[in-house]
Amino acid sequence: MALNGATIDRLVLAYAAALAKPSKADLIALHVVEIDWTLPLDASVAGLSEEAQRVLDVAEAHAERLGLHVEPLLLKARDVGAAIVDEAAAQEADVLVLGLPYRTRFGGDFVIGTTVPYVFKNAPCTVWVVREPMPQEGA
Amino acid sequence: MIGGRRPLQGRKLGDRRVRLERPHSAYFRWTGPGTLTAKAAASVPETPVGRAWARTKAVLIGRPLANEADITERLPKTKALAVFSSDAISSSTYATEEILLLLVTAGAAGLVYSVPISIAIALLLLIVATSYRQIAYAYPSGGGAYAVAKANINQPSALFAAAALIFDYMMTVAVSVAAGIAAVTSVVPELIPWRVELSLIALGLLTVANLRGLRESGNIFAVPTYMYVIGAIGLIVLGVLRVAGGDPAADFTPPPIAPPVEGSAVVSAVLILRAFAFGSVALTGTEAISNGVPAFKPPESRNAATTLTIMALLLGTIFVGITFLAQAYGIVVSETETVISQVGRTVFGDGALYIYFQVSTALILVLAANTGFNGAPRLAQILATDGYLPRQFSFRGDRLAYSWGIVILAVVAGIFIAVFDGSVTALIPMYSIGIFFSFTLSQGGMVVHWLRDRVRGWRLRLGFNLLGAVVTGVVAVIITAAKLERGAWIVLVIVPLFMGLMALIHRQYRAQAAELTISEAAVLAPPHKARRIVVPVNGINRAVVHALNLGRVLGDDIRAVYVTDDEHDGERMRGRWASQVPGVPLVIVESPYRALVGPVLAYLDVLDQAWPPDTEVPITIVVLPEYVARRWWDRILYNQQARRLKSALVGRAHTVVADVPYRRRH
Repeated sequence: MALNGATIDRLVLAYAAALAKPSKADLIALHVVEIDWTLPLDASVAGLSEEAQRVLDVAEAHAERLGLHVEPLLLKARDVGAAIVDEAAAQEADVLVLGLPYRTRFGGDFVIGTTVPYVFKNAPCTVWVVREPMPQEGA
Repeated sequence: MIGGRRPLQGRKLGDRRVRLERPHSAYFRWTGPGTLTAKAAASVPETPVGRAWARTKAVLIGRPLANEADITERLPKTKALAVFSSDAISSSTYATEEILLLLVTAGAAGLVYSVPISIAIALLLLIVATSYRQIAYAYPSGGGAYAVAKANINQPSALFAAAALIFDYMMTVAVSVAAGIAAVTSVVPELIPWRVELSLIALGLLTVANLRGLRESGNIFAVPTYMYVIGAIGLIVLGVLRVAGGDPAADFTPPPIAPPVEGSAVVSAVLILRAFAFGSVALTGTEAISNGVPAFKPPESRNAATTLTIMALLLGTIFVGITFLAQAYGIVVSETETVISQVGRTVFGDGALYIYFQVSTALILVLAANTGFNGAPRLAQILATDGYLPRQFSFRGDRLAYSWGIVILAVVAGIFIAVFDGSVTALIPMYSIGIFFSFTLSQGGMVVHWLRDRVRGWRLRLGFNLLGAVVTGVVAVIITAAKLERGAWIVLVIVPLFMGLMALIHRQYRAQAAELTISEAAVLAPPHKARRIVVPVNGINRAVVHALNLGRVLGDDIRAVYVTDDEHDGERMRGRWASQVPGVPLVIVESPYRALVGPVLAYLDVLDQAWPPDTEVPITIVVLPEYVARRWWDRILYNQQARRLKSALVGRAHTVVADVPYRRRH
């Protein structure tokens, strides 16, 4: 499952847990830190470290409460979608679960972003996308 | 920090990724900005002895629980009833006997008053329970009588309530355990010489069960409590049906009632009042729920109040019911058999039901101790938080139980059992005295509470609490007076001593806080005192070099001190030092009297006196080289002088001691 630190992560974890639990499958929690092209890929990005680690730590703690063990994996890459797909291939994943926050462009159309379409096109395995519920009117 | 690993090539050219290390993840978890939370692995001991102890503890009391498990450790009403009410409900096994014991002195004419007295006591129970329900809502953080007296009366009365309650909880534990073992030894009299040892073993088992945490102890203790409740309710229903069916005599012949002889009591108001006071022992344990409100599942206050109501209804019903049956069947106190056993045998016969009832009675008597184990540590935690007991009492152990309170309670109860030879007769006069004084104080406190906070219906509530305060006060005085010669004086000595101790601890903590507190508005300036580094050395070796290196980092005003009782040795050391440790002055202190610590301290004093008088005294940092032995038995061979020097330096004005350990792997 790919996590991005947003509130949708909980839903992603819940669905991934529901998938993994019956078959006792391994759960890998993946978070990708996108590195700007102006920086070398192996550069130390101190400001991001704690925040990035926290995304996985929070997921790990939540999984423990659900009685599950997750293997956290933190990546740095130029492109989040490519890193997710490549890691899924390397790990020989059966299912990839992603979260999709409900965002709109200037309050208009729903925006799907670039990561999800990339994963849809290139993932070597089944892909589940958990879209965040639409915010209620006036919320 | 995100560090670099070699990039991994993706499937497409240019898609590269780097897997990042998570060095913290074995021991910590980031839970918020700048906040690390330790995992269980961070608390795992590093030494073999520590690990062995941790494993033993895990087997005995279970694996450590994290704070977040607190909510799952909370008790639902069903388990809370068993945990907090076993003492109260168990008192129904002997309260009737206490009444009959006095009334029988007036012969058969006295016994007819047993039911009206038990009803009066049940009404008092209603008042006290109603009051504690109000306390559960008004003081949800627990503390019972202590919290009420502290908020509404004054500090001494709060301390008195706390001391009396804690002593009573301790006696609850001692008496219950001794009574349980007495039940065993009456079946197997050969065990009587071992009753103290058996009591201490039972106490140890109860302690371990309580150290396993609330949820598990609730699981362990729920069964016997409900066994007794079911048995007692069944006994009353069956007994009442039989009495209503006109067959009260059944197949039981009670012992004959001796007619009043010369010098024995006649039925009088005093006798009835004394019987009422002694029967009020049924109320003991009623306060436990209000002390432990935070142990309930949310909504804590409501659940505690509901449990209290159920407990009071059960207790009142069982107590009045048993007293009614005892009177209906003409049962009196016997030296060979308890009243409740006689009632049980009359109603159930000698079969399996009777044995079940007797076993459940014995079990609930032992488990009444559990109320003490839950009440006292919680009260001690509140007292420790308020600064009246050492802070350790407020720390929760591996299983979120207040381990310090549990262990100390068990130790003190064990001492009482040992000192009084495990005798229930010897222990019981000290029991249920403190509780009535705490009832009086809590009721009195609530009277003040209603006078201050005049909510709707306050007059009626005030009236209830005033009546409760007066009645429980009278009961407290009667019981104390009656038991005074038989051992109650011990309570009158220990409770004030305990109060004094708590006041002393509080004064000490307050003085310390006044000394250490820094105003929240204060902005702390950087250090401005000069630093002087002194390194006592015993030669030139790796440990000394290690210490000197630290000393040089700490400041430039550094000197080494070498104490010797041999003039030639000093000269040799000076020559070697000059060539091997340039830049650090060496002071050789010759000690013809062969002392080490004294000359070093005297040298430090001389340095202080030599400091210019118009400038602020510098901080002297004494850097002590210390060789760390590999094995525990090696340690007695090294560092004895360093330890003595360190002890002598602790508390010296303007002095800081820095230990520099040298381990072999350096």
